[in-house]
Amino acid sequence: MRVKVNDRELELAPGTSVIDAVFAAGYDVPYFCSQAYMSPIGACRMCLARIGAPRKDRDGNWLVDDATGEPKVFFFPTMMATCTTVVMEGMVVDTLSKEVKDAQRGMVEFTLINHPLDCPVCDKGGACELQDRAYEYGTGRSRFVFDKRHQEKHHPLSELITLDRERCIHCKRCVRYFEEVPGDEVLDFIERGGHTYIGTLEEGLPSNFTGNITDICPVGALLDATSRFRGRNWEYDHTFTTSLDDASGSAIVIDARTGRIERIKSGINPEVNKSWIDDGIRFGHEYAGDPERLRRPLLRRGDAFEEASWDEAAAFISERLGGLSGKDVGIAIRADATLEEGVAARALAELIGTGQVDHAPRHGPSLVPVHGATLQDLATATAVIVLGDVTEELPALDLRIKDALKGVSPPPLFAHGVPIADLRLKERMPRARERLTVVAPYRVGLMQHAGRPVVVPVGGEAAWLQAMTDVANGTDPDEGALGMGRAEAQGLVRQWREASKAVMVVGGFVLASAKATDAAAALAKAVGASQLLVPPMANGRGLEITQVLPSHARYDYRGMLAGSAKALLLSGLDPARDPATAARLGACELLVVHDLFLTDTAKLAHVVLPGKSGYEKDGTTVSLEGRFLPVRAAPVDNGEAEDLTGVVKVLGEAFGKRLEGRSVRSARRVLRKELGFDPAELDRLGLLHDLPRRRSGVSVGPRQEATGAALRVPTMVRPEYLARNPRLRAALGDLALRLHPADAAGHDLHDGDEVRVPVDGAPWRLRIVLSEAVPRGVCLVPATPDAPVGRAHVALEQVVHERRALEVA
Amino acid sequence: MTDAVTEAPKPITSRSDPRFEVTLYAHVGAPGSHTLAYYRAHGGYDAARKALGMTPAEVVDEVKASGLRGRGGAGFPTGVKWSFMPPVDGRQRFLVCNADESEPGSFKDRYLLEDDPHQLIEGMLIGGWAIQATLGVVYVRGEYHHAHERLRVALDEARAEGILGTGVLGSDFDFDLILHRGAGAYICGEETSLMNSFEGLRATPRLKPPFPAQAGVYGLPSTINNVESFCAAVHIVARGAAWHAAMGTDDSKGMKLYQVSGPVRRPGVYEMPMGARFRELIFDLAGGPSERAKAIIPGGSSTPMLPWSDATLDLPMDYGTMAKHNSMLGTGGVIVIPEQKCIVDAIYNLVRFYGHESCGKCTPCREGVATWLPKMYRKLLAGQGTRDDLAVMEDMVKNMRGTAFCPLADACAMPVQASFRHFRHEYEHLADTGTSRYPRRREWAE
Repeated sequence: MRVKVNDRELELAPGTSVIDAVFAAGYDVPYFCSQAYMSPIGACRMCLARIGAPRKDRDGNWLVDDATGEPKVFFFPTMMATCTTVVMEGMVVDTLSKEVKDAQRGMVEFTLINHPLDCPVCDKGGACELQDRAYEYGTGRSRFVFDKRHQEKHHPLSELITLDRERCIHCKRCVRYFEEVPGDEVLDFIERGGHTYIGTLEEGLPSNFTGNITDICPVGALLDATSRFRGRNWEYDHTFTTSLDDASGSAIVIDARTGRIERIKSGINPEVNKSWIDDGIRFGHEYAGDPERLRRPLLRRGDAFEEASWDEAAAFISERLGGLSGKDVGIAIRADATLEEGVAARALAELIGTGQVDHAPRHGPSLVPVHGATLQDLATATAVIVLGDVTEELPALDLRIKDALKGVSPPPLFAHGVPIADLRLKERMPRARERLTVVAPYRVGLMQHAGRPVVVPVGGEAAWLQAMTDVANGTDPDEGALGMGRAEAQGLVRQWREASKAVMVVGGFVLASAKATDAAAALAKAVGASQLLVPPMANGRGLEITQVLPSHARYDYRGMLAGSAKALLLSGLDPARDPATAARLGACELLVVHDLFLTDTAKLAHVVLPGKSGYEKDGTTVSLEGRFLPVRAAPVDNGEAEDLTGVVKVLGEAFGKRLEGRSVRSARRVLRKELGFDPAELDRLGLLHDLPRRRSGVSVGPRQEATGAALRVPTMVRPEYLARNPRLRAALGDLALRLHPADAAGHDLHDGDEVRVPVDGAPWRLRIVLSEAVPRGVCLVPATPDAPVGRAHVALEQVVHERRALEVA
Repeated sequence: MTDAVTEAPKPITSRSDPRFEVTLYAHVGAPGSHTLAYYRAHGGYDAARKALGMTPAEVVDEVKASGLRGRGGAGFPTGVKWSFMPPVDGRQRFLVCNADESEPGSFKDRYLLEDDPHQLIEGMLIGGWAIQATLGVVYVRGEYHHAHERLRVALDEARAEGILGTGVLGSDFDFDLILHRGAGAYICGEETSLMNSFEGLRATPRLKPPFPAQAGVYGLPSTINNVESFCAAVHIVARGAAWHAAMGTDDSKGMKLYQVSGPVRRPGVYEMPMGARFRELIFDLAGGPSERAKAIIPGGSSTPMLPWSDATLDLPMDYGTMAKHNSMLGTGGVIVIPEQKCIVDAIYNLVRFYGHESCGKCTPCREGVATWLPKMYRKLLAGQGTRDDLAVMEDMVKNMRGTAFCPLADACAMPVQASFRHFRHEYEHLADTGTSRYPRRREWAE
């Protein structure tokens, strides 16, 4: 399609909106209601332009202008909203004439008549679309001499989001967002005409993806409650990085001010998270600024700790290590460590001479699938099989699955980015539910979007997968395990096989069992599906492929804790909740804990080293799809905290060695050789890079698998930090033990009770939540880095009430 | 001109033409006219039987040839609209009747619904056959309680007699109607808002394209017409396209229900051929104004007013002529405005109505129609306005024209602009002196 925008001609694909043509031509029109990845609706009427197009006569010939001999351009009688108009062959767009400017000025004036001009106290000031557009396209003065509309100015939509109804300009982005992106319809317009405002039907916003509306609000109406009144936009340092909260590789922007993280916004990575992040990532950052964070190394002196310098701590450690055999030392790092930290851990293990090095949590099976899928594959799949609760485990997947149900291929990229108005997207689009099958041991949120939800018994995934594989292979399945009739199962298998692209998402419940994982791979192979395996933490896949692994299965993290190591260096791990482990840790000859806080484990340590949060590190991470992504440090005041490369640097120096992982730069020299590219050169979008599956012959599994009738379930929030994230905690409540109401009755448990209950022998304080989504006889407790997703024993008979919920008479 | 048209008969453009016969309103007002027995006794459902004997394409062609244009106000050719439906592909197709008659000054559909509901049912049966829809929706204005009740009873009668349901009138065509009552929102008269409202969604207009024929009710192919259009289709099928096309002017064919309200001796609905003149309607039928008049609103409150003059009274009421005189035929709801009425006050009443009915979706309507403009009128009428305010109002109204998402903002802006065009002196008098040139009634003073 040839289109002429003012004086510039350009060639565009059919279906492009005129607003994108204008931006592609390098011109600008103002807009408020259009938003990338959402349907254009033409509500704000800001993007008006004069548009004309040639016409054909009845025989299909262009009507010609007699004077010039060129096709005659007929202008539309009124101004057209460019966001909802599609380009036509020979179209002429005028955005510069006086008429157009007058119309745009008129719209700015209308928009501003009820907008309070409280920009000096508005958090959006300086980063406000309305402010920018009003300066650019407005008159600078208002002719509206009346009282502005008065509505609620501090309406808490939830604990996390505050709504200022006076500032709202009714662009409907937030309302459309909830319907179109997560599919959780929790917000709508109330009243009509000049009285219209947005609100919720019930209290709060029950969705895992609410924070995104604060990013897309063009004005300061919807604000992140964690950062409200904390700073001006021009005071923030913006750090464009990758979230280490989960393995999605979501792009985020950290806004820090005077050494403190004030808010996190979604970054843009069209192939990963588009422009959306979940509330766990967005609001779960307050712990990084907690006043109890460790700022200097601590050395044990008798029963107490004393602050020490890094050199003193290093000297102490090297002296103790000198008296130990190298192979008795264990090093375990948390699986959200960067690749550079992994290299440092490996270098330290090599220096000490131990094979006991591992990352945790780690499932037995490999996280590199035989036939891997990417997130773009998932978003364009025509059949999706989900094993587990992805909405909590890896919420970014949830949104990409919902993209797949819409069946709209990823938009083309213009020089100005993704289309501002993608006319293929509509409000209330039908979703192809039949494409989605969700299998989990309890009713998960995604099942309400699934054509075929299947609730299997606890630990029943392997049997279900095996039975479906049998159906696919034409052998006799165990019909009891199918959870549906055989004919229906056959229909499902046929649908997966015939799908142009089938993707299987394998969550933690399956990965916790080697047998189930193999069964999943077999089913995927039988129906021709590619796989996405969900790592338990951000960089599980990266630390696996860069071989931060023990030399033998019995030297894995569990083995170390069980007694194979006499000295331990634990980075970010806190296994001491379990009393037996705590006793063994207390008996260690040397326990070094590298963490953010004085955790239960750190309290047992000889040396505690201050660590960095995922927001403060430089490095590289690998997402679940195998995408290498850069992690950049935000300027946070964290005292003398160091990441593992810093720990290894001072320890190496204490030994008189310059170790390979002594800095991010030196670790990257190693990685460059191993990976074949330089991680320092990664851009924000990352790099999909395939590495072979386990290269060495080291066997690291299978471990002994957990048993029990209860389940440790994934949560969007990081449970270890929930107590230090006050806003998130207020919004979502304390960590919960979820069970069926009928099961609760027998144990005198009521919704909202706070109880102390042993989970696999470790004491937990949990809030009781009764839910019919949980099958009878099953308890759900949160998974943590030290006790990952999988089965568990919950001793309900040993429940002790800490506080009872208020009885309502 | 006179010598060229010897053989072609002169088109019928006056009710007094002996060839003209009242059809649409022939039975309105007759005792028992709403019953099926009465309707059958007067030839009811013969046209539907005739249509079912034709192919759907023949019915569409007949309506096309008749020159019938949509009677809801916009005047889009009905037959052409019917032909926009995609080919039958197994999906449910809907025929929708817009009976949400809410335009101030319009009340023609009301009496059709109340006194002749079977005429509408028959018209929709014909339309349903023409577009091959098996389900119809009648969206009745919420305030039309009596009409809703009559229609409900009529539908029950029709179903009981096999006129609706499976195999209508003994054919193998299935057709049924869903009766839906609105909740009193003017915006539901806009076709896509009506569909949203019917689906249970917030009544805001939808983006077009896709037009209803591609994605209407529940995203399925749909056609939507006004009550009067359906009723006209009955007579077109019964008497033939040529009979219909013999009435009216070049661009406006057939008969039309004109309504007249305001200070006239016999206000009401009058069926006349298209192209009849205001003079005939107001003087011959409605008995003339009961007091001195100064303006005529030709087709419902949103159409721009015309000054009261001999020239205006002699204008034929058809689509083309009204457009030529910067106005619209609209629904044919003529409102006579008396001289002893402050025009600013009268227009404020309209603005108040549109401001109240704005859905709030788009900026010019929400902020202009619903917020700013009524405030300006209140300021002016309170005697606090200035000539500068008049300039602001004119400019603001200009910004509302053609910029909004749906025609509601235009519907408000057009009468305001027309009042400025013809009665600027009244605005200026109010701005200069703080008092109205003519007395004001205080019914809606706040």
